[in-house]
Amino acid sequence: MIAENTQTQMRKGILEYCVLLIISRGEIYASDIIAELKSAKLLVVEGTLYPLLTRLKNNGLLSYNWVESTSGPPRKYYTLTAEGISILSQLDTTWQELSFAITQSKNPVKP
Amino acid sequence: MKRTLNINIGNSIIHIEEDAFELLTNYLIEVKQHFGKSADDFEIVSDIENRIAEMFSEMLTSQQKQVIELEDVQVVIALMGSVKDFEDQSDDEPAAAHIPYTAFAERKIYRDIEEGMVAGVCSGLSHYLKMDVSILRILAVLTVLLGGSGLIAYLILWVAIPRAVSRSEKMAMRGEAVNLQGFKRNFEEELASLKQNFQNANEHLQPLVKRSGSFLTEFIEVLGRFLQGSGRVIFKFIAIVMAVTGSVMLLSSVITIAALLGIWDSSANEIFPLSMVDAAYFTTLITALFVVVAIPLFALILFSVRVAFNSRPLNKMLSYGLLLIWLAGVSVSIFYVAKISAEFKEEAEFTQAIPLKPYPVYTLELDRSRFFSREDSLRYRLNAADYAGKVIQNHGGDHFSMPRNVSIKIERSENNSASLTQRYGAQGITFETALNNAKNIKYNFTQKDSVLLFSPELYLKKNANWRDQRVELVFRIPAGMKLIIDKKLDRYIQDYALWNCNEDDDHDDKAVRDNFYRGIMTEEGLTCWPLLQQ
Repeated sequence: MIAENTQTQMRKGILEYCVLLIISRGEIYASDIIAELKSAKLLVVEGTLYPLLTRLKNNGLLSYNWVESTSGPPRKYYTLTAEGISILSQLDTTWQELSFAITQSKNPVKP
Repeated sequence: MKRTLNINIGNSIIHIEEDAFELLTNYLIEVKQHFGKSADDFEIVSDIENRIAEMFSEMLTSQQKQVIELEDVQVVIALMGSVKDFEDQSDDEPAAAHIPYTAFAERKIYRDIEEGMVAGVCSGLSHYLKMDVSILRILAVLTVLLGGSGLIAYLILWVAIPRAVSRSEKMAMRGEAVNLQGFKRNFEEELASLKQNFQNANEHLQPLVKRSGSFLTEFIEVLGRFLQGSGRVIFKFIAIVMAVTGSVMLLSSVITIAALLGIWDSSANEIFPLSMVDAAYFTTLITALFVVVAIPLFALILFSVRVAFNSRPLNKMLSYGLLLIWLAGVSVSIFYVAKISAEFKEEAEFTQAIPLKPYPVYTLELDRSRFFSREDSLRYRLNAADYAGKVIQNHGGDHFSMPRNVSIKIERSENNSASLTQRYGAQGITFETALNNAKNIKYNFTQKDSVLLFSPELYLKKNANWRDQRVELVFRIPAGMKLIIDKKLDRYIQDYALWNCNEDDDHDDKAVRDNFYRGIMTEEGLTCWPLLQQ
């Protein structure tokens, strides 16, 4: 139970980070994001993604436009806003810091 | 073949099968309800719906079909994730919201009607005791079966433990925190399931009934359900009992008919009412009557067995065969009954005068000696040598070998002497036969000094059929003559209520007072002597 909580906490942050990374590569819609996440072995169910995307959009990190599709309903294609790009670079920094913290915690290199 | 519906999902129309639709609907409700907690529910849900629509159309295309089936919906749900897999992305609800429910508020004991099978006693107990409900149920059933005390205990608990009606009660029953969080969750669960209920085609009125009314309403409703279910078992039990009873009755009628037809050498045809039946068609009639009685019994047994064990109905040919036999039996019986009635058509009587030795006071007594015919002697293995000179008396009760056919009338005689006439009567198919029947009556009357002995029975010639043979003895005495009458004759004497006589009798001899009436003939007729004296 305790491990699950921590794991969930860890996942939450990283998921967001990965999503922003994926979208930063170019305009993409939900289904493809999921496919990428799956190949990266990060996400299991699609239903987790939609609320996340909506929240990011509401916080101003993402924007989307509708694209008509021949094989079904229209799709939302997401892109990063300027705000999103700036947040992303902040997260990049944070990630590097964390990565360092972990490596350091495992194998301390005496300065 | 299945019914399909059309749904509008993600701005497209999709054909979907009925069971798939139900699954999808339930899922979407859960989803909506889950995201209802955050502010952006509409957008999220519509995103999800769009995605689902997209997945559907991909499936339709790739599988080259036109209708979404149950498996498709299951795949979609698996891909999308069920609601509990959705990781909570909003940051206002802390992770502490997932409180294990055993930690919190104190439990109260309530009956859980929603999860209960009969009255929710076991369910409520299971919440309170934190035990698995199945164990409690098994226990309950065992105590009911072994001695039934469990049933009483159950009923007591039913009345005593209140049922969880309001939301807070239900939550207290489960031990959920009775606070706002819990309320909200509970309420939403409730709403979701309520929606489900409404959207189901087989909506019961149970929720309404359960929220209203008293114990009585609940009891009646439960009784109805109980009867539906276990009523069938009881019904079968009753059917088995009927089958067994029917078999016993059938067996006894078989034995009876065997006895009647003389298998065990009883002269049953001398016993009334069978003595009515002419020997010639005795066997036929008895067989026909047996058929009339036995076949319905047999049918009843078969029917009960069929109900009890759910077996197939009887072969049609056999049923018709039995019916035909029964009808044949009925018609034969009716024929013979008619024939026998005809034998009673005509009536004949003749009278015989009996001389009486004169005495000042006559004592009328019941002649209890039995007259044995030769056949009776053989039957009772009476050897004449053993009983020579002795009179066998029958003090037994009034055994019903024939209806009472001896009557005594006491009248005032025109002249000064006493006389007795015997009038014999009988029926017959013609007058001659009737007269013959009357002539064949044997009746015993003897006079010993002043005692007149009247036999209570008359005897028929051997093998004579009963044709309402009767003897009437008319005893005429002049006015002023006294009589002492055996009380036992009372039932044979017509017209006089002599039992009143006893009350004021002051005869010295107690034996006389207890066993005899004393009467005297007057101008008006026979009267109690003691009364007259007053």
